[in-house]
Amino acid sequence: MNPHKLAFTRVLPASELPPNAKKPLSIEGKAILLCNVNGQLHAISNVCSHNDKPLERGRLGNGWIACPTHGARFDLATGNALCLPATKPIATYEVRVVEDWIEVLV
Amino acid sequence: MNTRTLIPGIKNASSEPAKGEQRCPGAPSTQDIVASDKVRAPGWVRSESYQFLGDQDISKDRYIDPAFARLEMDTLWKKTWQFACREEHIPEVGDYHVYDIGRFSFIVTRVAPTEIRAYYNACLHRGTKLRASGTEGNTDEFKCSFHGWSWKLDGSHQETVCHWDFPHVDPKDFSLPQARVERLGGFVFINMDLSAPTLAEYLGPEIKAHFDAWKLENRYIYLHVAKRLPCNWKLAIEAFMEAYHVIETHPQVAVSNGDANSQYDVYGEHVNRFISPLGVLSPHLYGKHTEEDILKQFTLGDSGALGGGERSLGKNGSARQVMADMFRGMFEKATNTDLSGVSDSELLDCYSYTVFPNTFLFPGISLPMVYRFRPDPSDHRKCLYEVLFMRPVPVDGSRPMPAEPIRLRDDQSFCEAAGMDAGFGAILDQDTDNLVLQQEGLEASAKPGITLGNYQEIRVRHFELAIEKYVKPKA
Ligand code: FES
Ligand code: FES
Ligand SMILES: [Fe+2]
Repeated sequence: MNPHKLAFTRVLPASELPPNAKKPLSIEGKAILLCNVNGQLHAISNVCSHNDKPLERGRLGNGWIACPTHGARFDLATGNALCLPATKPIATYEVRVVEDWIEVLV
Repeated sequence: MNTRTLIPGIKNASSEPAKGEQRCPGAPSTQDIVASDKVRAPGWVRSESYQFLGDQDISKDRYIDPAFARLEMDTLWKKTWQFACREEHIPEVGDYHVYDIGRFSFIVTRVAPTEIRAYYNACLHRGTKLRASGTEGNTDEFKCSFHGWSWKLDGSHQETVCHWDFPHVDPKDFSLPQARVERLGGFVFINMDLSAPTLAEYLGPEIKAHFDAWKLENRYIYLHVAKRLPCNWKLAIEAFMEAYHVIETHPQVAVSNGDANSQYDVYGEHVNRFISPLGVLSPHLYGKHTEEDILKQFTLGDSGALGGGERSLGKNGSARQVMADMFRGMFEKATNTDLSGVSDSELLDCYSYTVFPNTFLFPGISLPMVYRFRPDPSDHRKCLYEVLFMRPVPVDGSRPMPAEPIRLRDDQSFCEAAGMDAGFGAILDQDTDNLVLQQEGLEASAKPGITLGNYQEIRVRHFELAIEKYVKPKA
């Protein structure tokens, strides 16, 4: 993390992302997907590292998301690819809740 | 002490008991133990179904010959019902779970709220797997990552990229081939054999009734651990089919386990079971321990649900009754479930059922596991073992997501899996250590087969008879 760039962006009221919901957003020109897995928030790139398809319609599991196009799975916390056909990670972003707002560090 | 009733007429004229009729002398039977419980056990517990099936040695080539393993792949694995996943792995339409057996792979997917299908996991263009092995997800089409051919959820062919180049491809003929699917108790079973008996026929009416009584559809997976074991898959399975090894392999357990007086039953060709009573002393140890010792030594598969409860015997209490009463209260509290109608035996005892070829179901509460064993397709001396722990779903109706499998390395202890009960993990380690020695010993041995006890090892024989039926069918 770059300490000189600590600008969290306020993106969504926390109430609009209930458990097991997803929300695609564009923050500073980046396609980002907010995910709530059983109350745990994650912000990841919405672009699959396999073939650049959007992840937003992918299934959320216990700590992972599966790309709907060819089925690559990614770890929501680290962005690591968990299975073929992806081998490269996707970006992940810091996320926090302040005053009932979800904030993402992009 | 021996309160087992001898039924007149089943003994030989010569007063020598018939083969398989002998039981552990001087010990109550499992049925005796269960009969004196406060909260009465259901009918499926209070019944027996033993059958003597011969006492010949079982030839050892099936464990050590790679050709036998290849034969198994082309015979029994293609013809038997196998547990592929739980329904909760694929709760929504479009959810899929990839199940592999040997070189075969299936996409098990929910195509409608009440319909699940299993597609052979291979593109009909040039064969690429449509989904990687060991994965899950959700989709509305299965698109191949190589050239992009795709199939709808219902298996019909959706798109041939550059169809102009494939005038010989009629989409009608390019639906994804399927295996059969049946569901029971929240389990999804598949069978590659399109002319196999139904799952209900395969299990038989009695076992189907046991399943119906268990209501395992009302459980969820709270822990799932997988590890490769250093032996043929059949040796691994057989190591869990008897309590005969408890005294030597798991002496720490014997203090609170009726090992030598466990009950063994066989049902038709594909299912067998044991009931191993807990909260009672091993007949091997009679006179050496008090009821207090039994209480202290009790091992649980799901102690996480219990917290560190005080165990005290009170006045005139039996360890078994104290444990039953305590478990009922604490499990209910810890897991937010209602166990008021559940018998003492169901709370305490180890019920181990095998559904041929490779699934164990433990429908009890304190030891609530499912085991699955699969051969390693590249090494007949290795297999993949999975243990899934299941808890009743909370009374508020919420259904937690099934736990992700934790894959241990070969050199790791089962105790290293987060959430594994330490006592239970130690038991599995003890079993694994035997198995590597057994695999090597069979290969080293001058003896051509293994020898089995008539009663305590009946499940091993019953299992091996089914192996023979599928692998070497008589002409
Ligand atoms: S684009 Fe995501 S798996 Fe191919
Ligand atoms: S191999 Fe699947 S599209 Fe070519
Ligand atoms: Fe064991």
